[in-house]
Amino acid sequence: METETLLLNVGPVHPSTHGVLRFKLRMDGEIIRDCQIVVGYLHRGTEKFGEMKTYLQFIPYTDRLDYIAAMPNNYAFVKAVEELAGIEVPLRAEYIRVLVMELNRIINHLVMMGSLLLDLGGSTMIMYGFRERENALQLYESLCGARMTFNYIRPGGVREDLPEGFIPKLNEFIKDMDMRIVDYEELVNGNEIFLMRTKNIGVISAEEAINYGMTGPSMRGSGVDYDIRKVEPYSIYSDLDFKACMRMEGDSYARYLVRVDEMRESLHILRQIVDKLPEGKTINQRYSFAPNTGAPSAVTSYFPRIFTPAEGEVYSRIEAPKGELGFFVASDGTTKPYRVKIRSPSFCNLVALPKMVIGLKIPDLIAAFGTIDIVLGDVDR
Amino acid sequence: MWTGDIMITNPNAYDLIVAILNAIGVYNIILGFFENMGMEFVLRAIIVLVEVAAVVAFALVTVMFLSWLERKMFAVVQARYGPMVTGPRGLFQPIADGIKLLGKEDIIPATADRWIFTIAPYIVFVSVLLVYIPLPFGESLILSDLRVGLLYIIAISAITPVSILLAGWASNNKYSLMGAIRAVAQDISYTIPLAITAIAVVVFVGSLSTVDIVNAQQGYWFGVIPKWFIFLQPLGFILFLIACIAEMGRIPFDFQESEQELVAGFFTEYSGMKFAMFFLAEYAHMFAVSGIIVTLFLGGWTGPAIPLIPIQITSLVYFIIKTYAVIFFAMWLRDTVPRVRIDQLLHIGWKIMIPLALLNLLVAAFVVTAGVI
Amino acid sequence: MAWISKNWAMIGIIKGLIVTMKHILQIGDRKTVTVQYPYERMKVAPRFRGKHAVDEDACIGCGICETNCPNSTITIVKYGTRWFPEFNLGMCLFCGLCVDACPMNALKMTGDYELADYSRESLVYGPERILFKKEVSK
Repeated sequence: METETLLLNVGPVHPSTHGVLRFKLRMDGEIIRDCQIVVGYLHRGTEKFGEMKTYLQFIPYTDRLDYIAAMPNNYAFVKAVEELAGIEVPLRAEYIRVLVMELNRIINHLVMMGSLLLDLGGSTMIMYGFRERENALQLYESLCGARMTFNYIRPGGVREDLPEGFIPKLNEFIKDMDMRIVDYEELVNGNEIFLMRTKNIGVISAEEAINYGMTGPSMRGSGVDYDIRKVEPYSIYSDLDFKACMRMEGDSYARYLVRVDEMRESLHILRQIVDKLPEGKTINQRYSFAPNTGAPSAVTSYFPRIFTPAEGEVYSRIEAPKGELGFFVASDGTTKPYRVKIRSPSFCNLVALPKMVIGLKIPDLIAAFGTIDIVLGDVDR
Repeated sequence: MWTGDIMITNPNAYDLIVAILNAIGVYNIILGFFENMGMEFVLRAIIVLVEVAAVVAFALVTVMFLSWLERKMFAVVQARYGPMVTGPRGLFQPIADGIKLLGKEDIIPATADRWIFTIAPYIVFVSVLLVYIPLPFGESLILSDLRVGLLYIIAISAITPVSILLAGWASNNKYSLMGAIRAVAQDISYTIPLAITAIAVVVFVGSLSTVDIVNAQQGYWFGVIPKWFIFLQPLGFILFLIACIAEMGRIPFDFQESEQELVAGFFTEYSGMKFAMFFLAEYAHMFAVSGIIVTLFLGGWTGPAIPLIPIQITSLVYFIIKTYAVIFFAMWLRDTVPRVRIDQLLHIGWKIMIPLALLNLLVAAFVVTAGVI
Repeated sequence: MAWISKNWAMIGIIKGLIVTMKHILQIGDRKTVTVQYPYERMKVAPRFRGKHAVDEDACIGCGICETNCPNSTITIVKYGTRWFPEFNLGMCLFCGLCVDACPMNALKMTGDYELADYSRESLVYGPERILFKKEVSK
């Protein structure tokens, strides 16, 4: 009997596509035979802005790439600029940077867990996740003034020092988070219905993951032991004790568990940083502003109004919560970059989705898609 | 109950009203007044209409209260407040929702079948209200003690899939039709274990009448443990509970309302009050089905009698408390677990629950014929 | 699905139900966290980046904030005899680079975030509007 495949459009406006993303599915009854992904609904021309703004003015634009966890975006660009211009960063600034980035990792994974469960139907996890996220965002608000678009990490250090009372509140957050992770594990990890929905769904083997260019926790769920913080340690990660979390099965459940483990490792890193935080300057003398809060630690030299790094190009990458985030910055000696290219983790992870999903049904597409953890700002830039 | 050729009927609400009127002393006067005109059936009709109006009012108030309770409980689990602004603690929120839905434009698609499209939601609601007839709210507080009450309930519950198919068909939308077909598949595959488990209870009682089932659960073992069927048939209770949650279409069997997985449910083309009817029917169905669970397994309206208060009122209170306990469990489950996929849902219904229900029936039949109970 | 026969007791679901029950009864540290805006408002941090405020005495109208703004939000306009910045808050990123760049420490960002309005023109906050913080005491 001759049958035809049905073209189903899971449109840009859909509750579970985490943004504006479109799937064109070829369905044979219930089974997906082909999946084409249409991106570009959120394209804003960020890389073009990189050519039109100076190095300092571009940093707020990097915030808007992965808006759920914005500090690593700032840091990846600033790291590229520092490599290009040969800027040294004081030690306390490095510690503060790693502190805010690991805190961002935690809140990113909370959103991933929450939205995965929300798509599957258990809507309490996202509320718990956002309750924890609120505490972290209030910490950020006291630190740099904004909750989502931080604009905090600058070439040469960070914008300003930690406010008073930050470390005790951070310690409270860590203690609270320890208790909550136990709650989440009891709520979700053993839940038989959750296991039914995510075990053996969206399997991708290690070799295929590497071939598709997946990075980050999604790849580590398939058994590839590659964490940039271990392979090419940047900042102070070589002094910290943590492990790269990995699972072997490669299905959605493994990717989910990798992220829960990573949250625990991030808390471990935060505790070490709080213990080891050194005194000192928070920004390289030559590159600091005088932030206008009247704090006594304001320094008096200014960021060079004309900041022209030497000609050259650099590609620097970090382990963002979603994967490998890389910035390629090419400078031609003027105040504006010649080219900024962003290698975003969500875009490269998304390419592996059709491979995971062909042969499954639409509910499985939702479950597998939720564990790749993309955000559209990152995909479309 | 039927014991051979003598039929003993249990008192129902009609008899209760007559007894109250007799106690006041008015009944004979009114009856005489109607008999003089030769229309005593009018008096009977009026009394029955009063009962029916009471039950329908109770159902509607319960539906409103349940929708408020569901939202508040969902919110408390998620560490938030829920509706707080409309009325004290949000109690008037269902009224506000109703007013909003009444004000929406009533869209009927141009190519849809107008009559069936309009009637389908009302069929669902009416068929749910019909389940309230043999439901024993308390001692002699039952609209009509049908001799085949339980069979009637299961049969009326089978009208729901038909009306869902009507709704999906009349929308003239292939995705709605697919959604309707899946809803019907879910309903059918969970009606079978429900019916088999109910029959296992009937085997213990010997009669299909709901009041007889409740009466068979009166008394205590060892003076402490009440003789409820949940203690005699725990497996049956669990199966019946799962089947009822699937019949009601609640999470974890909530396939119809997940836009993420199904492109359109059968109620996609509905707007305004017709849309509201489906959801009112869901809450009314939830109360009715919980009432059935309480009747079959948790002892109905039995409970320790309190002196000085007429047993009708205490039995009503016990029934409502037990029903709300079952509803609370259903809502609690909804807040915690994710959904089950449609094919896993059917797998559970056919391959796991039916064998277990048959096993339950076998054990129950063996126990009864061997004279153990 | 074969693992169902091993997990028939559904312990995972029961543990989840216990967690949810703990939230219903609010035991431990699990209380309701809603702030009922607009009846209650949360306090913003001192460093919060909200609407701008220009110190009339300190601003010299140099235009460094205008040059450093990534989004061309600021324009320097003449006000009386002096020149002051005018902010188009509809285009502002609230990034705070202008605050960092001001050489006279004349610019700061207050904690005002309820800035919604009905037309784009009313979002242009010129010097005559609420953008003046006069220092009254030294």
